[in-house]
Amino acid sequence: MAEQVLMPKQGNTVESCIIVEWNVNVGDTVAVGDILLSAETDKSTIDVESTASGVVLARLYEEGDDVPVMEPILVVGEAGETFEVEKKEEVKTASAPVVEEVVAPPPPVQPVVSSSASGASPRARMLSEQLGVPLTAATPTGPKGRIVEHDVLALAGEPLSPAAKKVALAEGILPPATGSGMGGRVLARDVEAPVTSGDLSAYTDIPVRGVRKVIARRMVESLQTTSQLSLHAWADARALKSLRAAFKADEETAGITIGDLVNFAVIHALKEFPAFNSHYLGETIRLFDHVHLGVATDTPKGLMVPVLHGADLMSLRQISEHTKILAKRARDGVAQPDELSGSTFSVSNVGAFGIEAFTPVLNIPEVAILGVGTIALKPISTSTGVEFIDHIGLSLTMDHQAVDGADAARFLRFLMDTIANLDSLLIRMGSNGTL
Amino acid sequence: MAHYDLIIIGSGPGGYIAAQRAGNLGKSVLLIEKDHLGGVCTNKGCIPTKSLLNSAKTYEHAKNGAFIGVETTDITFNVKTAMAHKQETVETLRGGIEFLMKSAQVETIFGEARALDAHHVEVNGTTYECSYLIVATGSSPVIPPIPGAELPHVVTSDEILELTELPSSLVIIGGGVIGLEFASFFSMIGVQVTIIEMLDEILPMAEAEAAKLARRAMKNVTFNLGSTVTKITPTSVFYTTNKGEEKEIAAPMVLMSVGRKPNLSGLEALGLAVKRGAVVVDEQLRTSLPTVYAIGDVNGKSLLAHSASRMADVAVSTIFGSGQKMRYNAIPWVVYSNPEIAGCGLTEAEAVKQGIPVIAHSAQGRQSGRFLAEQGKRAPGLVKVIAHKESGVILGIHLLGPYSSEIIWGVSAILEAELRIQDLKEIVFPHPSVAELIKDVVFALDSSV
Repeated sequence: MAEQVLMPKQGNTVESCIIVEWNVNVGDTVAVGDILLSAETDKSTIDVESTASGVVLARLYEEGDDVPVMEPILVVGEAGETFEVEKKEEVKTASAPVVEEVVAPPPPVQPVVSSSASGASPRARMLSEQLGVPLTAATPTGPKGRIVEHDVLALAGEPLSPAAKKVALAEGILPPATGSGMGGRVLARDVEAPVTSGDLSAYTDIPVRGVRKVIARRMVESLQTTSQLSLHAWADARALKSLRAAFKADEETAGITIGDLVNFAVIHALKEFPAFNSHYLGETIRLFDHVHLGVATDTPKGLMVPVLHGADLMSLRQISEHTKILAKRARDGVAQPDELSGSTFSVSNVGAFGIEAFTPVLNIPEVAILGVGTIALKPISTSTGVEFIDHIGLSLTMDHQAVDGADAARFLRFLMDTIANLDSLLIRMGSNGTL
Repeated sequence: MAHYDLIIIGSGPGGYIAAQRAGNLGKSVLLIEKDHLGGVCTNKGCIPTKSLLNSAKTYEHAKNGAFIGVETTDITFNVKTAMAHKQETVETLRGGIEFLMKSAQVETIFGEARALDAHHVEVNGTTYECSYLIVATGSSPVIPPIPGAELPHVVTSDEILELTELPSSLVIIGGGVIGLEFASFFSMIGVQVTIIEMLDEILPMAEAEAAKLARRAMKNVTFNLGSTVTKITPTSVFYTTNKGEEKEIAAPMVLMSVGRKPNLSGLEALGLAVKRGAVVVDEQLRTSLPTVYAIGDVNGKSLLAHSASRMADVAVSTIFGSGQKMRYNAIPWVVYSNPEIAGCGLTEAEAVKQGIPVIAHSAQGRQSGRFLAEQGKRAPGLVKVIAHKESGVILGIHLLGPYSSEIIWGVSAILEAELRIQDLKEIVFPHPSVAELIKDVVFALDSSV
């Protein structure tokens, strides 16, 4: 009896996932726990595991499809089995579900050449051999999902050398439309590896997918749909430095960093300025009762923003510990979608690189983001002359749709004062604040 | 100021082909030459040496024709007549290029060119402007810093072509293509020739088997391999063997043929990126300046006339046309010595060095009916085929013997089409021909049908 594998639920906020890459083909044998595909949510990429064992009879969605969660994505059963699938089109289509009968292909002889060859017309198969276009690369447009001559012809480019043809067919690789040989002939090396260029014009193309694609989409969306303005300031960092030095001496608090102290001050400031702890939703501005602080984190897969939920209810030490745990999970690629969503204000700290100021990009629909820079000595005029005092760089980007420049200036001024007087704030809050 | 779509500096087989191609596309082209149209190839290289080598080969065949029934007495070699024929050939071809330039409506001026920037070139005090510039300035013989190298009896290929009297003996420093062709020429007409080569074998690009056979076939040439010249005096050449022995050889004339270096003079103001003395170009012959191209010897990629001509096509197609790209894996080379040596693609040793799994096989010339009929069973001849062990793709074919120069283009076609052993088996060769040996070797590599 054929079984269906569903697109798993990814936390409470994810409604659908885009399939980035399938790891299994029709005809492959899978076991429970095998990684079937990688998919991306609007925050990160995830691996989807199989919940059934057997032979893959059908893949119901292809790479690039946006699949609602809890929707069937794969049919697994015994080779040759007949089954029915009820496949909904994408979320947006409200029309009646399409029911199609599919006859599963017999078990493949060679695992490399997909068994979809049996779903091809004889003319398509002949043309595939002639042109060196593998049938596995063709998109079937014939009746009952059969590959017809036209589907193969659609993929044909410049002629392939005999050696290139052999590689393309044996490995099931779609040859490029033009190759590096005479008159654009496709040679074996063009099929085996992308065409490389000579000295000066050499380059490498990396496909934009996964987290990179998510970041790219979100960044452009942010800049296209908001009215961003950045303010830069320096805050007296003497309190930060002396607090850090004091905490460092005690094993219990040694993990509390300058970044944690700044985040603590930000959370405090957000409680005073609720307009900055909000989402701009077009028709409404949603002010949040609690602070959910996004902490921009550099990971091997790219920028991720784990979220400290209910940060305003945490002590300094809790903020420090949770930030560390969340950042590690993001770097290790195990953060759950819920850990990466729901922030109401974000902080991006590049102080470690010696950056003074920058213009952070809003993490929409948030209305503001704080960039934290390096600590540097600034000449300050005092009653006794000029003193060099440690200052920390602060860059606040805000959405002018939701708040005004003067509001942002007031918020930043308050934050500067909070940072400058963080030691007295902590004393005022007593052990509630610190521990 | 006169403006051109394209200015080309140098009218060798790179420059004049570029001018012809662009001119035929209807572009305004200015071709600048400091000496004669045709460059080194037509005037001091490929063409004059072919003329002289043919004279010498005819003389040699006549002298040694008794075994096929040709008997001669009182046969002599008249160097003055040979030189005159060479000169006539060169001048005829020069005239031919002049005609080609006229029919392609290319403007030609003579004088030293000096590039002022990417779009301005000065010649004889006049500045010309262009949208694109092709540098095709070629190369010159390298004179290594050996004591005595500046002496008047030490000549390069430039001067030796103007000889009116033969030296009694000749020492050639360098066993590459140029050295070997002159060694073949002079030894055939009775000059005692010695080659001193630093490497352990002549012709580094050739199959070792072919180089060895060629050396043995050139009986009147003494080869001192693995030897380094230390000093030249007016009467002798001193060299050290790889065993450390100091040797001296009498030398009334010395030919320096250790290599060629790109001509960069006049290009200084462009500030082009240069690596190991050659202008850096990409696979479309673009230099570090986007509107300046460098073709032929000046970019050091492949110092052959036909490479330069192909680069001309690629550069012009990139500037005005479809944007072709240079491929260097199927460029044939030929040494027009007696016997001829030619190759295209990888040697077995190169392929192994690149980590490619190879199969290779060779056949002797006398296995061919035509070769045996014409050359006899003693003459050296060789065909070697190198193929990829797994895919069967032909990686290189190397030839030694008569007609090699005229057979080798077919190997370019085989490599360009990426034909495999099984594909070559389906090609019909004429019978009897020397080229048939390629098919025999292919079946020796894989006898299946």
